[in-house]
Amino acid sequence: MTSPADIAAAAPQRLGKGRQRQARISGAVLLGLAALVALVFAQDVAGEATFRLSRPTDPLALPDLVVPALPFSYAAAAVLAFLGVRQFLRGGVRWTSLSLGFGLFLAVAAFLVWATAGKSFSLTGMLQATVVRAVPIALGGLAGVLSERVAVVNIAIEGMLLAGAFTGALIGSLMGGLGGLAAAVAIGGLFGFILAALVVTYRVDQIIAGVVINLFVLGVTSYVSSQVYQEYRFLNNAPVFRPVKIPFLGDLPVVGPVLFNQNVFVYGAIVMVAVATYYLFYTRMGLRARSVGEHPRAADTLGINVYRTRYVNVTIAGMVAGFGGAWFTLGSVGRFDEGMTGGRGYIGLAAMIFGRWHPVGALMAALVFGFADAMQQKLALLNTPIPSEFLAMSPYIATIIVVAGLIGRSRPPAADGQPYAKE
Amino acid sequence: MLNKTLRAAVAGTFLATGAMAADFTACQVTDTGGIDDNSFNQTAWKGVLDAQEKLGIDGRYLESQAETDYEANINSLLGGQCDVIITVGFLLGDATAAAAKANPDQKFSIVDYAYDPAIPNVLGQVYSTDEAAFLAGYLAAGMTKTGVLGTFGGINIPPVTIFMDGFYNGAMYYNAQKGANVTVLGWNPDSREGLFTNNFDSLDDGRAFAQNLYDEGADIVLPVAGPVGLGSAALADELGTDKMKIIGVDADLYETDPEKGYVYLTSITKRMDSTVYDVIERTMNGQFVGGLLVGTLESGGVGLAPYHDMEDLVPDELKAEIETIRAGIIDGSIKVGG
Repeated sequence: MTSPADIAAAAPQRLGKGRQRQARISGAVLLGLAALVALVFAQDVAGEATFRLSRPTDPLALPDLVVPALPFSYAAAAVLAFLGVRQFLRGGVRWTSLSLGFGLFLAVAAFLVWATAGKSFSLTGMLQATVVRAVPIALGGLAGVLSERVAVVNIAIEGMLLAGAFTGALIGSLMGGLGGLAAAVAIGGLFGFILAALVVTYRVDQIIAGVVINLFVLGVTSYVSSQVYQEYRFLNNAPVFRPVKIPFLGDLPVVGPVLFNQNVFVYGAIVMVAVATYYLFYTRMGLRARSVGEHPRAADTLGINVYRTRYVNVTIAGMVAGFGGAWFTLGSVGRFDEGMTGGRGYIGLAAMIFGRWHPVGALMAALVFGFADAMQQKLALLNTPIPSEFLAMSPYIATIIVVAGLIGRSRPPAADGQPYAKE
Repeated sequence: MLNKTLRAAVAGTFLATGAMAADFTACQVTDTGGIDDNSFNQTAWKGVLDAQEKLGIDGRYLESQAETDYEANINSLLGGQCDVIITVGFLLGDATAAAAKANPDQKFSIVDYAYDPAIPNVLGQVYSTDEAAFLAGYLAAGMTKTGVLGTFGGINIPPVTIFMDGFYNGAMYYNAQKGANVTVLGWNPDSREGLFTNNFDSLDDGRAFAQNLYDEGADIVLPVAGPVGLGSAALADELGTDKMKIIGVDADLYETDPEKGYVYLTSITKRMDSTVYDVIERTMNGQFVGGLLVGTLESGGVGLAPYHDMEDLVPDELKAEIETIRAGIIDGSIKVGG
């Protein structure tokens, strides 16, 4: 990523204009949101929206968060309008993204208050679901980041997730959860290695190689699950990793259940994102990996082994995806069913792009998706006048809006997708 | 999409056939979710297996991996190799109608679809599932400790929502009879909207949706989404049945999902196996007539599975009331339409 300072030095003129335009667009969006809140949400709303924060059994129970719907709508609209107007008055000011982010948050809050007016739902439950639903997508996205940072496009994430899920269930049934998890990571790494071999050594088209892996895994796992698991049921009955409560932190209201009373996959995803960020941006190895992704010839000239770097990183990416795949079986339902990953690998790829090829960005994009997903489930229970098909689309729409609005243009590693041939 | 099409091709090569050649061949095209879904497709296929065993026919099936496969799968079974083609699922309605009209000599039967007007070479198998679901709703309302029941569906289509309608109305009937105030989350019979996963594949959706209902207080959940419901069973297994019980659909899930069997309060059975068997037998005996075959509580086409491990938990009084209501539905004195 290029830092703003670099661009500023290169083209102050263009930057000024671009900033101005971005500020004005943000202003218009904020004013539009203000109008939406004031004219739609504030119109037919009455009563109070109740968000439950704790279960009665929690050690530190918080009272319900009760929001009077009408005043909140008008207050939100006023703040949104203020933020919007400010963008025009002081065009190009700092905090454009911050204003927009806060504005989107307010608009979502106003929407939730509107939908919940006179009813209640568990806010903590929704946030917990957000994190849970984000896990496979974040891990898929992280696998994408690790391999695309060394310029290997990884379409095979879906297949690696599925292979991880399948292996996790099979070995987990035979040897217990930890064995299953280790096997899932290993099989993911194996497919990562195969992908690397295909695209690095044999220079197969990267997209085709990924699709081949996806189809192979899909075919084999579907066949085994429909032919073998039907006969030998004990092969598909794996234990599920239970939530592990972190002492004290897990008892905190709201954040406790959301972040500190989850299973190993949630903690694992967070740790992996942190480690990957450190690795890619703060270690010599990471710098080398990124240089291979940006300009392999230059890296090669400087004595970096491009092939080995790609092999290693893509294999690690596969292991991450295998871990993510195990979530579907060992972290959730304890059994494999054909096609059970349901395209989450592709959404992970999208999270990677929306997250600007950065581990933290991919995690954030996954959380946005998870939030919208959890929210649509709550909305379906609240009897809103919105059709359920529309609600089902909302995670995708939300991701697009947040990305287009907040992230802006994202740039892949320069050599992404290109094979490298030593001369 | 490319992915799904090729996946279908892969699956298509695993065309399963009966052991020996017989004079009569029944072919089945499944809906998505797979022949091994422990529920919808598997129950329908059991009808063919039963016929294989008892009538000595030859049975084969083609799995649909995606909605794009329906037409291709049906077409690949045309050409006289099948005495009857049985398509399993409401979503295959259009593809079946098109194939039946183009091939008037081929006998078809479809599960969960009633054509209006009837097509002479198609025998529709439909079920008054709401009758059995009504009983389950009454039972669940009598069993809940939190006073909240939950349900979610796979896709918002009539064969799914008929379960939810019956379940809802059964719970409301309980409220009316007992002056109770049990609520049902996840389905609104007036607006025809509710909680839907919009797929029949992602088991973790089943877990997440059940968790969502649990967070809102539900302690008995009815998932109407084929294998996705197995994910809900995994959550009930983890929480313990005192906090969550599951009601199965289509087959008696205590039997088909024995590892998690103890989490099922009961199952709303839809005996597709018996109607499929019936269709095959009729066709063999030359009694095939296009039209409708309706499975009801009276005919045994739908029903409530035994309570199995929950037998002792269900009060005898409640069991007796269920039997009374069952009789009432059969003689028409109780209307399940709400």
